[in-house]
Amino acid sequence: MSGLLTRISPQTLRLVALALALLATILFFSTQIDGYLSARMFNRISTSAAVVLPVAVGQAIVIMTRNIDLSIGSTVGVVAYLTGGFLGSHPELHPALALAFAMGVGGLAGAINGVLVAWGRVPSIIVTLGTLALFRTFLVEVSDARTITTASLPQWLVDLPQATVLSVGGLDVRVTVVMAVVACAVMGLALGRLRAARKFYAVGSNPDAAVMAGINAKRVVFVAFMLSGALAGLSGFIFLAKFGNITVVAGMGMELKSVAAVVVGGVSILGGSGTMLGVLIGTVLVDTIDNSLTRWALVSEFWRDALLGMLIMAAVTVDTFASRSLGRLKAGSGGAG
Amino acid sequence: MTVSPILELRGVSKSFAATAALRDMSLSVLPGEVHAIVGENGAGKSTLIKIMTGVYQPDAGEVVVEGRPVVLRSTQEAQGAGIAAIYQEPMVFPDLDVAENIFISNRAKGAVMHWGALYREAEAIVAQLGVALDVRRAASGLTLAEQQTVEIARALSLQVKVLIMDEPTASLSAHEVARLMTIARALKAQGVAVIYISHRLDEIFRIADRVTVIRDGQHISTRPIAEVTEDGMVAEMVGRALESFAMKTAANPHGEVLLSVQGLGRAGVFHGVSFDLARGEVLCLAGLVGARRTDVALALFGIAPATEGRVVLDGREVALTTPRAAMDHGIAYVSEDRRKLGLAMTLPILANVSLASLRKLLGAFGLIDRKAERAMAEGYRRQLAIRAPDVGTEVSKLSGGNQQKVMLAKWLETKPRVLIFDEPTRGIDVGAKAEVHNIIRHLAAEGVAVLVISSDLPEVLALADRVLVMREGRQAGILLIEQASQERVIGLATGQGERTAA
Repeated sequence: MSGLLTRISPQTLRLVALALALLATILFFSTQIDGYLSARMFNRISTSAAVVLPVAVGQAIVIMTRNIDLSIGSTVGVVAYLTGGFLGSHPELHPALALAFAMGVGGLAGAINGVLVAWGRVPSIIVTLGTLALFRTFLVEVSDARTITTASLPQWLVDLPQATVLSVGGLDVRVTVVMAVVACAVMGLALGRLRAARKFYAVGSNPDAAVMAGINAKRVVFVAFMLSGALAGLSGFIFLAKFGNITVVAGMGMELKSVAAVVVGGVSILGGSGTMLGVLIGTVLVDTIDNSLTRWALVSEFWRDALLGMLIMAAVTVDTFASRSLGRLKAGSGGAG
Repeated sequence: MTVSPILELRGVSKSFAATAALRDMSLSVLPGEVHAIVGENGAGKSTLIKIMTGVYQPDAGEVVVEGRPVVLRSTQEAQGAGIAAIYQEPMVFPDLDVAENIFISNRAKGAVMHWGALYREAEAIVAQLGVALDVRRAASGLTLAEQQTVEIARALSLQVKVLIMDEPTASLSAHEVARLMTIARALKAQGVAVIYISHRLDEIFRIADRVTVIRDGQHISTRPIAEVTEDGMVAEMVGRALESFAMKTAANPHGEVLLSVQGLGRAGVFHGVSFDLARGEVLCLAGLVGARRTDVALALFGIAPATEGRVVLDGREVALTTPRAAMDHGIAYVSEDRRKLGLAMTLPILANVSLASLRKLLGAFGLIDRKAERAMAEGYRRQLAIRAPDVGTEVSKLSGGNQQKVMLAKWLETKPRVLIFDEPTRGIDVGAKAEVHNIIRHLAAEGVAVLVISSDLPEVLALADRVLVMREGRQAGILLIEQASQERVIGLATGQGERTAA
């Protein structure tokens, strides 16, 4: 047993454990909620997770570089509102350009964070806590308390959430879900195969060594924040399509959800490690719990955030203990060297 | 000589705030030479390296590569100009595997990672170094020596023209040093200039073609090795003559047995370590890097407790399961890894000194008596000659030797009965080294039982009353100082010449 445990990489072990946790969660709720294992529930969870996934992917990259982005909830709100407003006044805009607009606005917000963290040398937790409030206030000012409504949006956007790419055994896979998963897959592929993307790991793993190895660590951190912003832009776009009605509180609380998804997904809060597959499963797990709790009679809806918080702490605790005992196992079987 | 220099510094000066780190420094390095640079800590070697690698820019003067003045604004640009460095504290990425660590800064490898090819090439480079190292392993589990191998491999992969080695052997054992020398000679044969910085003077005589001495940020001399004597070089470094430390020929008188270790072991790490240590005695643990000497110390200090064997202290068996328990029994451990285990780098000297004995400083309402804390630290600053403006100075701003003294002060304040030193002079200069040796002798004379782990054989032979040699997690033998010689210790440590010792 210990031989097997030491041969499998900790990363793989973590993914297996995560998948098992997801399976256990689904099985548990299927005994608690009537009609849980249905196409409707699949739809509900998959489209809801599609809003969070891009943000979680961006958050993961930022956390890999030993930073954190707490501003993304506000970024999602700003992007959803501005994109909705822009499409209201330019309904003829091509969908691809509308998406580019959303990601551009998000990327700009991320670039502001990135400049302040990388070159301003302000700790990211302070910078993004500041911009979390600033972006939200900006949204309140710009919106003048007006709401974007479905009626003002072009028809293609209103229809988007119902658009289906393919149906497998009665389960509809929505376009928005595919968009989010593609973003995650592209980033996953890049992190595994692109030299430039490996620098996120390098900088987070040992910032001093990164500088000594000739890596422009500041630029890498900047790019991480800009990507996080752009991906929050994608989330904002999907958010706009999904809900149609956008108020000034749009996207609130998504920072907590994204951090939960990333940490549960096995990205080390200390930087330097993590996989996109983990982030994907982590996001689905967090969203499954979130969506199931609203339907579960036994628990008040107000407990959802508390559970999310507990989940973050549990994930980090389990991870710490697991890696520590795994390290001990390895030292034991390693012998003298 | 018609060979033109590959790297030149012309009149380089660099100041930080009011202190001049380098003053009008000129230096020329030829292709295919091993150019040693020696000087005490604080002489300006680190600043010099940082200017050559683009970390700092000179205030005045210029850097010339192959006859052309260059401005190196970053390590990237320095690498582009063919200059790379490997450092005293190995710089690896713990989360990445060995192969990726080697090629991390190699832009010639293209935008896409070809993992298969990467592993093959990494294996070829590692093989060239003559070491066994799994290139797919994560770097987090590597020993210091292995991490350094990764760094050297990284520099090799960049096909550098000038390779700066900053204290490369500080953590290496004798046979690894020999291998490094071989590597350096191979680089030299390929026309690479090696700038070699080391406090171990014997290595400089083995490897260097020319030696440059610097002192107080100024160039003192550059001479072919044949014209240099050890005494002359040391005199130039310190600006005065210094007696070289002699080999000890007989054990110092010491008291009754204080610490008795019987069959100590930790599952899968080390086994069967037995020795007695008397008050006033210095026992040195010698062996190759990876012989698990530090693990014995960690077991005695309760960081990684032993799983077998007994420890008897002052006639009573003790359980050393936590550092707190070890400290309560009067055991102190001065760690090898100053940054990781020894010091709070961002705190001032006084906070580091008082850290392990805050209980003594508690005044009214359980608050720390700041005045007493400052007085305590000030006392040690004088006693150990810690070179700092005052005890409020941040530890990270001190040189290695002075950091070592701060760490020592912290443990001395706990008034230990057993003091364990792990590589006490690693990476510190000759002057400070002699001071640390004197402190150790002085402590032993006061009746402290001292255990010293050292990979520096001359140091072992200068300090020890007895030498315990370890090999691959086992005790290979204990030598009385009268019997100990470099050859016998190395023989035991490597398992060659299997002559059993007393």
